[in-house]
Amino acid sequence: MTHLLDVRNASRRFGGVQAVNDVTAHVDEGELVGLIGPNGAGKTTLFNLMSGFTPLSSGTVAFAGRTINGMKPNQVARLGVGRTFQNLRVFPNMSVFDNVSVGAVGTLPQGPAGALFGGFTKAGTERADAISRRTWEALEAVGLTHLAGELAANLPYGQRKYLEIARALAMRPRFLILDEPAAGLNDTETRALAAFIKRLHGQGLTIMLVEHDMGLVMGICQRILVLASGRKIADGPPDLIRRDPAVLEAYLGVES
Amino acid sequence: MNAFEGTLSKESGGRRWLVPALLALLVFGALPALLAGFDRGYFYQIANLALIFVLLSASMHLVTGVAGLLHLGHAAFYGVGAYTAALLTSKLGLGFTVTLPLSGVVAALLAFLVALPTMRLVSIYFAVATLAIGQMLYLVMLNWVDFTKGPNGIIVTKGFELFGVALSGRLASYYTVAVVVVLCVVAIGRLSHSYYGNALRSIREDDQCADAMGVRTVRLKMEVFTLSAFFAGVAGALWAHMTGYISPGDFKFSESILILAMVVVGGLGSLPGAIIGALLLILLPEGLRALGDFRNVMVGLVMFLSILLLPKGLLGEVSALRLVRRQLGGAWRSTGKGEGIGWR
Repeated sequence: MTHLLDVRNASRRFGGVQAVNDVTAHVDEGELVGLIGPNGAGKTTLFNLMSGFTPLSSGTVAFAGRTINGMKPNQVARLGVGRTFQNLRVFPNMSVFDNVSVGAVGTLPQGPAGALFGGFTKAGTERADAISRRTWEALEAVGLTHLAGELAANLPYGQRKYLEIARALAMRPRFLILDEPAAGLNDTETRALAAFIKRLHGQGLTIMLVEHDMGLVMGICQRILVLASGRKIADGPPDLIRRDPAVLEAYLGVES
Repeated sequence: MNAFEGTLSKESGGRRWLVPALLALLVFGALPALLAGFDRGYFYQIANLALIFVLLSASMHLVTGVAGLLHLGHAAFYGVGAYTAALLTSKLGLGFTVTLPLSGVVAALLAFLVALPTMRLVSIYFAVATLAIGQMLYLVMLNWVDFTKGPNGIIVTKGFELFGVALSGRLASYYTVAVVVVLCVVAIGRLSHSYYGNALRSIREDDQCADAMGVRTVRLKMEVFTLSAFFAGVAGALWAHMTGYISPGDFKFSESILILAMVVVGGLGSLPGAIIGALLLILLPEGLRALGDFRNVMVGLVMFLSILLLPKGLLGEVSALRLVRRQLGGAWRSTGKGEGIGWR
């Protein structure tokens, strides 16, 4: 069977640094997968290879049966890969509604002709309505409808995280990659986030969680990929990962 | 998705049309009545000039305020439009009905061609590239004497007309300029107050992030740069047929900066702001004529203080969007709050 995301022998070199080294991994439809590893393990680089932000040095990445090597991020996004950013990147001078609508208009494009004359045609109004509906649905999913008119810059840190997720959800992605969503959250907030991610997964969304910290990932993921020094060192369910000697060595530096 | 159908009911009531109706009454009723009452050519001249700069400022709002591309050569595309109109009139004998759209198209085509290599440049490098483009076009107007008559300028023999029917007389000229400018500003309003406009704003805010949301950033930047040049070209045709004489000096770098100042003083990203900025920076120097040479110092002071005290502009983007959403239509009712928030 074909995997939803299929990474084969992916490598990425930055000058003399081999950030990702011959990684082969996959994600199937409906999975909730964790990607962990110590600092500098190559998580973010692998993530960027999967979302088109960084071109591969060698190897292939395929999404839903299509090779995405050499595609621009916006092309990958329109294939159905949604992502969030490690260090919160909302559009600060736009309202919450407008922020989220960008995810919708990115995948349901409205061009200048649509903006000018769309209001006079059936197709044009339907497109605008669809964008609006997707935006409200994504806001509803993260519980931010009551703040729709608020400026994103005025939101507290925790809500901005959910705003970023809502923006990605408005793309109606087939595959959602969350980059360190728990960073900067306290324990209570992290637990709430874990429940939220589980709920999204329960609704049938395929999710990859890139995390620096093991706790959240171990708690909710079905399968975990472990990177260290650019290589994949383990791939399996949380119980196995927890006892895996290579993982323990990478994290704790224990000779085993 | 059914749960949301209820929120998609159109904002009801006639209040939505109140502000546009009042503005239309002002531009097409009260103002021309006043102009006709005074019946002085100078006042007509000022009113037309102010309207043309409203269009220039609005078109720059689209590219700089909404999409966040610092454009330092806007006046050159205004000039391309004016020269297109002037040359089509003097060399081919064409009238305003034809030169108006063609001026926009030629300016847009030229903008498209220069945008091809420059659109991948970021921030300051893009600004410098547009500065260079502006200077290049200005120098062509100045030095290609055989074609543009260089510093002597061109006399535009034909005034406004519509399909051969002359629109002569001061009032007819005013109405011609007003109709064209209002139509263009409405178009710019639809472009900036739409989901398309939101995509443009996202490029201004964080283009990498917009890219990750599926927004085709390079293509959108090209589009908005080309569109803004189209409107600048249209403004150029209005200017050429209105004054009857154009020369390169009308389109030099300082004009680009003046238009930029209008957008910034009014409020970056705010269309009403761009209009207010244009009116202020055209009408203020005229109103201060009594001060003699001192007036430009006063204009500078007003600009300086407005930026110092109101860095977001006279009518900043946030309040402008709220105003547009409440008063100018295209709004959805949000869940329960009764505040329109989407676009249609």
